[in-house]
Amino acid sequence: MKRIFVIFTTISLVFTACEKEEEIIEGCTDTGSVNYNSNATNDNGSCKYNLSINFTHTIDGNPLEINQMIYTNTASQNYSIQTLRYLLSDITLHSANGTSTLLDEVHFITISDPSTFNLDIQDLNSANYIAISFTMGLDSLKNITNNYLNESFFPSFSWPDFIGGGYHYMQLEGDYTTALQGYATHTGGTDGIDFSFTKHFPISLNIANANTIVIINMEINNWYSNPNIINLTTDGIMGNANKQSLLQANGIADVFSIFYPIK
Amino acid sequence: MSGCTDNTAVNYSADAITDDGSCFFFSTTPFIIETPSGFPEMNIPSNNPMTVEGVSLGEKLFKDPILSRNNTQACINCHQQNFSFSDPNQYSTGIDHIQGIRNASALINIGWNTSFNWDGSSLTLEEQAFEPVSNPIEMHNDWKVVESTLNTHADYPTLFKEAFNIDYIDSNYVVMAIAQFERTLISANSKFDRYLKGEAQLTVSELGGYAIFNSEKGDCFHCHGTQMFMDNLFHNNGLDPEPFTDLGLGKITNNASDNAKFKTPTLRNIELTAPYMHDGRFSTLEEVVEHYNSGGEYSLTVDPLMKKLGVGLQLTNQEKQDLIAFLKTLTDNNFISEK
Repeated sequence: MKRIFVIFTTISLVFTACEKEEEIIEGCTDTGSVNYNSNATNDNGSCKYNLSINFTHTIDGNPLEINQMIYTNTASQNYSIQTLRYLLSDITLHSANGTSTLLDEVHFITISDPSTFNLDIQDLNSANYIAISFTMGLDSLKNITNNYLNESFFPSFSWPDFIGGGYHYMQLEGDYTTALQGYATHTGGTDGIDFSFTKHFPISLNIANANTIVIINMEINNWYSNPNIINLTTDGIMGNANKQSLLQANGIADVFSIFYPIK
Repeated sequence: MSGCTDNTAVNYSADAITDDGSCFFFSTTPFIIETPSGFPEMNIPSNNPMTVEGVSLGEKLFKDPILSRNNTQACINCHQQNFSFSDPNQYSTGIDHIQGIRNASALINIGWNTSFNWDGSSLTLEEQAFEPVSNPIEMHNDWKVVESTLNTHADYPTLFKEAFNIDYIDSNYVVMAIAQFERTLISANSKFDRYLKGEAQLTVSELGGYAIFNSEKGDCFHCHGTQMFMDNLFHNNGLDPEPFTDLGLGKITNNASDNAKFKTPTLRNIELTAPYMHDGRFSTLEEVVEHYNSGGEYSLTVDPLMKKLGVGLQLTNQEKQDLIAFLKTLTDNNFISEK
């Protein structure tokens, strides 16, 4: 395309030198991009695209319904969900040429605020992305008391220094068995152990398309199921490294899944 | 006639013919908020920057009964400095001798709150300050009357001119000045703060209480965590069974799942801010701790962190005493004696 254009302008110079010269204007010529330049005559590869990461939550494959004792875990306990808040960090796209693009260092999601269900990226380069990765929680370099003082998850997500400091990775709360008993599946680093984990999903995504959506789904019941069957209790688990380790293994196994448009 | 003839000057005189060099121009001195350790930056509205002149005017307004209809009640009457800017009475009494249904909140580190009043009905301090002045059971005034009174006052027109460069005192500027003053009510110099800095020792009992506070057994920290000792959220802490007499946040959001949820107060200066809870039902910290220790009442919206309704925390007497000893290390005596 570029070569043809160069020939054309050369001809016009030679044969119609007395007329106004056709100008080459560099820019993004894709109307589906966020920086489409209608004056551009030559695409210089500068096009940027929207990508929306959506965070969804299911139980047994169905959309989460809060405040209802309608769920049953693998340990045969009935339970409800009143609170679900969590941090995903280092949300990153990996492209075929080996480069990676950090989309967000830390993203806080709470079911009480649907605006946290989207992470909108507005200036993504066109590329073939072959993987997306993210960390559930904060790794030990990030998970430090009074880091992130100005983020919306401070102060409610703090994790006492007595139990290792930093922040909760997740607060999943509700009732179980009867409405009089609450459980609090609070995950985080404890006993000096980093229980965050990174998920790496192969994808095939050519962003050169308007408004691509990638869905990161949390299948909540799987926190309690595979490979470790976990019983809900009224006892706190924040200082319980064994429970944290079991939850971490379940989280790595099959809690998260990715959906994206296939061409 | 001589005077200031420059119409951009604060003291411009329209009658003056000869300039006598007396002109002075609008300028304010920034008021710097020092962010205490472990606190975020205070969120100050961009249209109401902190100035020495604004804070000083706000303090005068806060303490001046001129805002009330019969000139008998100032903000400070229900937010008394000795009680960490709270009311030691369960319910405050307005100018017409009528009481409300909530305990006046302590105004302490309020600049870090993201909503105001027990039910979160105001989203800014400026918005909040409108309400007590016109509320029939509080100052029972009319903002038009307030404006007229202030505009004809001997001192206020000059003070507003100096703080905001305005010639007519509009109610928006009154609440801006009060909000600026309220943002200066910062407390972070308690024994506990000095302990964190290595400048004070805690007793064995206080340390024991600190550990219980931050354990999942006591589980105080989930709502009263960090050096702010609050979470900027709303909870139903199991005070009452249904039907609720006060819907709290639910009445503001019209969402039944918010019923009987109230804003978490900071525990700083908690020793000074009795009585406790949104309705001031508990007169001592012992009663407060006993409420959590006994588990609270079931209702649809009770917080899951009140995990064992009817069972409670099961703290020993020693643990309860230790917890209260720790809470008293959060008292900042400078805060109530300064200013």
